[in-house]
Amino acid sequence: MGGNIEHRFSPYTDNGGTTLAIAGEDFCVVAGDTRQSEGYLINARYSPKVYHLKNNAVLATGGMHADGVALVKRIGQNLDWYVHKHEKQMSAPALAQMLSTILYSKRFFPYYVWNTLGGLDENGKGCVFSYDPVGNFEKQHWSCSGSAGHLIQPFLDNQIGHKHQSNVEHHLLPLDQVLKIVKDAFNGATERDIYTGDFVEIFIITKDGVTVQKHDLKKD
Amino acid sequence: METTATLRFLDAPASIAAFKHAASEDDIEATASACVDMAPREFAHPTFDIPAINNPVEFLKHQTSVDAKNRIKIQHGTTTLAFKFNHGVIVAVDSRATGGSYIASQTVKKVIEINPYLLGTMAGGAADCSYWERELGRRCRIYELNNKERISVAAASKLLANMVYAYKGMGLSMGTMVTGWDKTGPQLYYVDSDGQRLKADLFSVGSGSTYAYGVLDAGYKPDLTPAEAIDLARRSIFYATYRDAYSGGFVSIYHVKEDGWEFISRTDVNDLYYQYAAEPKPSLAA
Amino acid sequence: MSIMEYNGGAIIAMKGKGCVAIAADRRFGVQALTLGTDFQKVFPATDKIYFGLAGLATDVQTLSEKFRMKVDMYHLREEREITPKTFAHMVSSTLYEKRFGGYFCFPTIAGLDAKNEPYICNMDGIGCITTPNDFVVSGTAENQLYGMCEALWEPDLEPEDLFETISQALMNGVDRDAISGWGGIVHVITPEGVITRTLKGRMD
Repeated sequence: MGGNIEHRFSPYTDNGGTTLAIAGEDFCVVAGDTRQSEGYLINARYSPKVYHLKNNAVLATGGMHADGVALVKRIGQNLDWYVHKHEKQMSAPALAQMLSTILYSKRFFPYYVWNTLGGLDENGKGCVFSYDPVGNFEKQHWSCSGSAGHLIQPFLDNQIGHKHQSNVEHHLLPLDQVLKIVKDAFNGATERDIYTGDFVEIFIITKDGVTVQKHDLKKD
Repeated sequence: METTATLRFLDAPASIAAFKHAASEDDIEATASACVDMAPREFAHPTFDIPAINNPVEFLKHQTSVDAKNRIKIQHGTTTLAFKFNHGVIVAVDSRATGGSYIASQTVKKVIEINPYLLGTMAGGAADCSYWERELGRRCRIYELNNKERISVAAASKLLANMVYAYKGMGLSMGTMVTGWDKTGPQLYYVDSDGQRLKADLFSVGSGSTYAYGVLDAGYKPDLTPAEAIDLARRSIFYATYRDAYSGGFVSIYHVKEDGWEFISRTDVNDLYYQYAAEPKPSLAA
Repeated sequence: MSIMEYNGGAIIAMKGKGCVAIAADRRFGVQALTLGTDFQKVFPATDKIYFGLAGLATDVQTLSEKFRMKVDMYHLREEREITPKTFAHMVSSTLYEKRFGGYFCFPTIAGLDAKNEPYICNMDGIGCITTPNDFVVSGTAENQLYGMCEALWEPDLEPEDLFETISQALMNGVDRDAISGWGGIVHVITPEGVITRTLKGRMD
């Protein structure tokens, strides 16, 4: 006699990966690794989960890849409609609120996605917004989420936020230093987190537009 | 206009995939509804996707529980308090958000500025609080436009209670205090996602509330000066952050006065620890 | 909730150049409630060996007493000090004795051997030893500490630099864990002696 088999609606899977965003004085950096995995399997070594949106904001999605793709598509449609209605691009803070509302519209069937949004605000200053799956969001200076989020976040608190550095002048770091910290963070996380690795893609948002860098991470 | 609260899916679940929110029909007068109609449809009533399955409520309950395979962690842990006194209402909150034992943020804004004369606090599901209190702000504005006067705190808090009551049992988590100053003076209500709505002079909500109550009850009296009341609120939150692992970060304080609320301060609790530690302590009785 | 998360706590050990360091937080709590901020989780075994116990507080105290007795008995029988490696295997076999109903403790050991060579290790609750060349972490802030150590640690740190590195790793790590922190303690073991410092930390 076989035991009871429990059937349950289980629409989610975690495809891993880590994303982070850091706001600077006149720039914003958003980065994510490109590994896409499921359990102990690596589905793809280059499957980007950081998206450059039409309004020059950059959205990093972690969690379930399929939900991330669906969400980004929906955001893209909304951005297009906004342009048709208002004849201008949506600002990053407006997008931030809209994303929250979109996520909450699925409060009872959530997108399995941890979002981090980076862009420039109306005054050209870097801004970062981080989200939970049902749309709670907060404007921050730096944020890291995903499978190695717990590993990287305290490092950013220390290096970007100067936490526990009482003799150091607290200031926003210049771009070259931020990029070094991002690479250090991902190299460190790749050592310990099996879901993070292969490549890291770094998006740099300035008033002149968005540029992308791709760097190698360990592939084991 | 679709106005009936369609909870039909609870009986015949697969028959409906989108749940239209319209529980507020009783709250807003008929004239108000007519105005709402003129707004773009997507703004008229919030709608929520529901999985087209047998028991969507059970699905969400499982998915947010500890034994779910791909768990959706809803952020929790909080200390918030508010009390009425002779000079209005003092509201004080911490700023920590935790997912399990991980500290997701130390800088959460748990006082929601609904409008210049109404405040709400955040405890429980962060998204639930901020979403529904934003929606409350919108409805209060509509009320103002229709009635040419500000909504009373009693009515505003009831609006919120009725909105979330429509979703009772579906997994919303919200423990909030709504406060403001209206025609009848300073007001303080507690509203939660069970639909409970209470009026009293003093509340504390969240995992650290028992610690906050301990300090607050010892020092509370209606004739505190504003400075004394602010200090009492700050100490109450501080001692809660010290004892409760799921509270911490910064203490934010607001004072509700006749002409609206005023932001008082935002203090790192770590500075408070060393400040309070330096104060002379009463010696123990021999 | 796992029993390993009942009391909370965080421990790190790091290798330096001719020295080792071990650090822990100071919280004693029962789930969300903080009861004490001066709880001892790191204990001296000899002048040159310290061990830390992360996990259930009652087992921390039981095991620390047990290891003290065993180290003293070793000293009386052998008339010499135990080495870190031998001590680690003593700890390991003590844990394995209770293989099918064990202690809820993950030990971390840091010390200098007879030639003053650095030694660090940690193990799981039933005594499986790992001896890396850089650092070991355990406790409820394990992930945060791994991230910090992986980014901050470098080879051949002098005692003062090792102290700074392990302190930064500990304090920034526990500040992202709700049930660790409330101050810290660091021991840097050098051939000349042990430098012990307590750290002021966030008390929330």
